[in-house]
Amino acid sequence: MSTLSLVVWIIAYPVIIFCIGVLLGGYERKFSARVERRIGPSWIQPFYDVIKLMNKKTNVSHGYMHDVAILMLLGGTLLTLYFVPVPGFSYFSQFGDFLVISYLLLIPSLGMALGVGETANPNGSIGISRALQMLAGYEVPFILTFIGVAMKEQTTSMLDIINIQQAGGFMAWGLIAHPLLGVAALIALQGMLNEKPFEVIVAPHEIATGPMTEMGGKYLGIMFIQHLIALPLELTIYINLFLGGATNWLEYLVKLFVVWTALISVNLVFGRFRIDSAVKFMWKISLPLAALGVIGIMLNIA
Amino acid sequence: MAKELTQKAAWDMVLAKLKKNSLWMLHYCTGCGAIELPPTMTARYDMERFGIMPMVTPRQADILLITGYLSVKTLKRVILIYEQMQAPKYVVGFGSCTINGGMYWDSYSTIKSLDQYLPVEMYLAGCMPRPEAIISGFTWLIDRVGKGEANSWRDYYENYEFYRKNQEELFGGPVQSYQDIPADAQRFGILEAHE
Repeated sequence: MSTLSLVVWIIAYPVIIFCIGVLLGGYERKFSARVERRIGPSWIQPFYDVIKLMNKKTNVSHGYMHDVAILMLLGGTLLTLYFVPVPGFSYFSQFGDFLVISYLLLIPSLGMALGVGETANPNGSIGISRALQMLAGYEVPFILTFIGVAMKEQTTSMLDIINIQQAGGFMAWGLIAHPLLGVAALIALQGMLNEKPFEVIVAPHEIATGPMTEMGGKYLGIMFIQHLIALPLELTIYINLFLGGATNWLEYLVKLFVVWTALISVNLVFGRFRIDSAVKFMWKISLPLAALGVIGIMLNIA
Repeated sequence: MAKELTQKAAWDMVLAKLKKNSLWMLHYCTGCGAIELPPTMTARYDMERFGIMPMVTPRQADILLITGYLSVKTLKRVILIYEQMQAPKYVVGFGSCTINGGMYWDSYSTIKSLDQYLPVEMYLAGCMPRPEAIISGFTWLIDRVGKGEANSWRDYYENYEFYRKNQEELFGGPVQSYQDIPADAQRFGILEAHE
């Protein structure tokens, strides 16, 4: 990769992922609307929302940490993004395997915790405590599936895992070759993306959108941008590990939308778990599935 | 075009066209009018197709919808909520009670006209307005935002003394407030930008 094209990719990559995130977010709202027999908003509604929020005339800051942590939230997500390979751009992936990615994925949550702590809103504090509890819930099965995949393929590099799956064809895809890990990771992904039934962090009717309670204007705008980048990012990690990555952008988009449709369909038919039920579900269903998958790989069964 | 089209004015026009597609609404439901909102939001009339969504906290909202009468005591809370909202913000008075007191016109404990205390962008007349009227009113508001004419929120910064005087006369004492409105107007350059 030449220096010029590398620079272009470094600038263009977050923008492209943001655009995909806008489409995914708009698709979620349109899809839910159609299920509820409504017409629903425009397909690029999240884009309008972000533009509106970033152009508010007044923006109330609650202090220094509030300003810095909100950038830490966005920065952590952008940093993670560069280590995740997509078709055409995998330059940084050779320097960081998915152990690096699993560390970096924690930064946004910590940034959010620091920033919301300064706003001193009780709903925000409840939201943050729930976010960190959910982190303990979904991170353990997710890391376990990482370990299982690494043991199976004898590598921790995401690029190598994609190559092995693509060389082996459809039957070598992670979801087919070791289905227990695939399903466990899918459940963890539902929690990671904060979709129902694990939508305990942003629970509008219960704790007034939790961490976002005191956020307005540009602060909420940056949180929206972070969400719209993190959404395709986390789906991409799943696709790369279990659905054979993608060889071109069309295949990539199709896989993104297929996984996303599956997740939001589950989202639409469920209510919300309580926080203790959500963590229990993760540890009683997702974690044993992942553990069984790892044992199967150790005994060369699956 | 009579006014000279500067680069900033052109940019503002484009932004207004984009911003009108996203208006988040905080509803302050004291009165009976709130019963008309669920059909407006759900499958029958579907407010979300205009980009109008209910939001749960004042910091995130653009529209403050006052559905029905306001007693003197609740007005204090509404003022607190209004001052927490981030500009541009639009107050929508919903139903006759906010216009002239409605059926509470001779009550000692309710206010008669909301625009004496907060800058109202739009009134929805009726007791109570049907979802069709609400949709029609909101499309009117969206058009005004798109043209950049919805500027009632500036009034609160510019004529702050007027509103504060009315509020204090009504409450018979100083108004409890956590937001320094004149300082905000200075800090975010709201007064200069309008000239």
